[in-house]
Amino acid sequence: MNAATSAASSTGRPLPWGKFASYGFLVLLAVIYLGPLLMLVNTSLKTTPSFNRDATRLASELHFENFAEAWEKANFPQYMLNSALYAASATTIYVVTAVFVAFPIARGYVKYSGVLLTLFVIALFLPPALIPQFQLILRLGLYNNPIGYILLFIVNPIGIVILVNYIKTVPKELDEAAALDGCGYFRFVWSIVLPLIRPAIATVVVLHAIGIWNEVILPTIYLTNEDYFPITRGLIVFQGVYGSDWPVLASAVLMLTLPMVILFLFLQRYIVSGLTAGSVKG
Amino acid sequence: MIGYHFGRGRARWLPYLLLLPGIIAYFVVALGPSLATSVYSFTDASGLPGAPINWVGLDNYEEFLFLGQAARDNLNAVGRTLVFCFFVTTIQFALGLLVALILNQKLRGRNFFRTLYFMPVILGAVIQGLIWSLFLYPLGGPLAKFLEIFGARSEFLGAQPTEAFAWVIVVQIWANMGTTMIIFLAGLQTISEEYYEAARIDGADRWQVFRNVTWPLLTPSVNTNLLLNVIGSLQAWQLFLILLGYRNGTQVLGYLIYATGFGQTSGSVTSSFRQGYAAAASIIMFLLVLVIGMAVQTVLRRREARLMG
Repeated sequence: MNAATSAASSTGRPLPWGKFASYGFLVLLAVIYLGPLLMLVNTSLKTTPSFNRDATRLASELHFENFAEAWEKANFPQYMLNSALYAASATTIYVVTAVFVAFPIARGYVKYSGVLLTLFVIALFLPPALIPQFQLILRLGLYNNPIGYILLFIVNPIGIVILVNYIKTVPKELDEAAALDGCGYFRFVWSIVLPLIRPAIATVVVLHAIGIWNEVILPTIYLTNEDYFPITRGLIVFQGVYGSDWPVLASAVLMLTLPMVILFLFLQRYIVSGLTAGSVKG
Repeated sequence: MIGYHFGRGRARWLPYLLLLPGIIAYFVVALGPSLATSVYSFTDASGLPGAPINWVGLDNYEEFLFLGQAARDNLNAVGRTLVFCFFVTTIQFALGLLVALILNQKLRGRNFFRTLYFMPVILGAVIQGLIWSLFLYPLGGPLAKFLEIFGARSEFLGAQPTEAFAWVIVVQIWANMGTTMIIFLAGLQTISEEYYEAARIDGADRWQVFRNVTWPLLTPSVNTNLLLNVIGSLQAWQLFLILLGYRNGTQVLGYLIYATGFGQTSGSVTSSFRQGYAAAASIIMFLLVLVIGMAVQTVLRRREARLMG
């Protein structure tokens, strides 16, 4: 509790001991956050016998052949391509339809805008849709079908809420001016509103695409053909086969972790604004 | 309705027309199925194509809650879900707040720490789980070595159910604490410096500043985080899938729904595609989320009213 009280003031100069405690705490926590990642890197560079002898010992020589082995055996290029296709197509369909849902709701251009918005907000509390969704896809004949799988991801209620909130900050006078100039509704939304709300679009795209990329439950339910597996499912399959060979498994995991970490450094602010949208205002 | 400038008559219908695809998709893929869960919960639907579906009334609920050993297992899973929710929420909330308060100071390297703690959110359950499976490697892994120093040892994820369960709580918090922290940081940044100045002029010490300025003014972030953490942890089970599999004594409600509905289990427990039954379990989970979510909301409202009044 000492650290909390010492840190309570926002910008006041903390006492030396307060600062010391703060750093101590941050570093300790950093060890818990970095430790698993460093262990992953270290393991991926070792041979299996050396890992079995002493799992934590620093890799004395660097064995990059683990990566080659994992890459060769895991069929990752195919899985990654699948994941990318799912994420790109579902996100595109979602964002295009979402803009035309969010804009008239934010403006009150359709009746019952408030009710419609509420329908999206309550999604957080509703029962899991898992079972009827499965029955639906099954009956449509889209089980184990990439199209059926993509269909599952063309909605995202939180994204609608983010877009509505952002569109409200675009001045309404713009609509009137554009209409007076003879601009039609579709062209207005598509070529004037869309560029103006780019920050919100970016946030929604990032959140939605990452969600699809990381999805683990739905591919195990809906896809049985290995050719359709996304990377998450592919990794689980790989773990099933190489689960006991940690150096190879670790290099596989690392090959998928590293791009995500790098991507994270670039996309961090979009994720942050997505998470904090609406939460601060209350 | 006010001030639509893009034409009248037939042109007035254009916004509705363009709105339709998104709304229909939402109803068909998400809202409809979600509501239909309650209907399915009264049937014996299976996951097999072409199999007939019969109305069975409350049978699924009766079986889930009252019939034999399975019902006891189910109620244990419900209890475990609540335990998971309690520990994840309280620890993640407290830790997230503490870290946010520290990082809200002018500290060197605070961007680094912030990025580091937040980073796991992008990795997803599979990578998070596998990274921790390695970190918790029982035969001389880092944490095993660390425990050795104190003469202790553990099988970690392979240990007794209670202990394995506790490790999932740790990984869950590791993975999501960053989100809580980010929301608190955003809240802290909206608090005007003037309040702190005023409090300091009044001679308030650090604790009093926190108690009387920061904490009440942080209310929106407190509410958001509590609700997100409670609902999120009641519904989360992906890490159980990756870290433990469907193991007796560790199942939570979300995993149970999946396992009974889709028959994909591992280890000693097996089940078939009992989707009507799984739908009933979904409704029980929904009620759990609803009741606890509402209770939290009520407490938060009262608190807000007290702070404002």
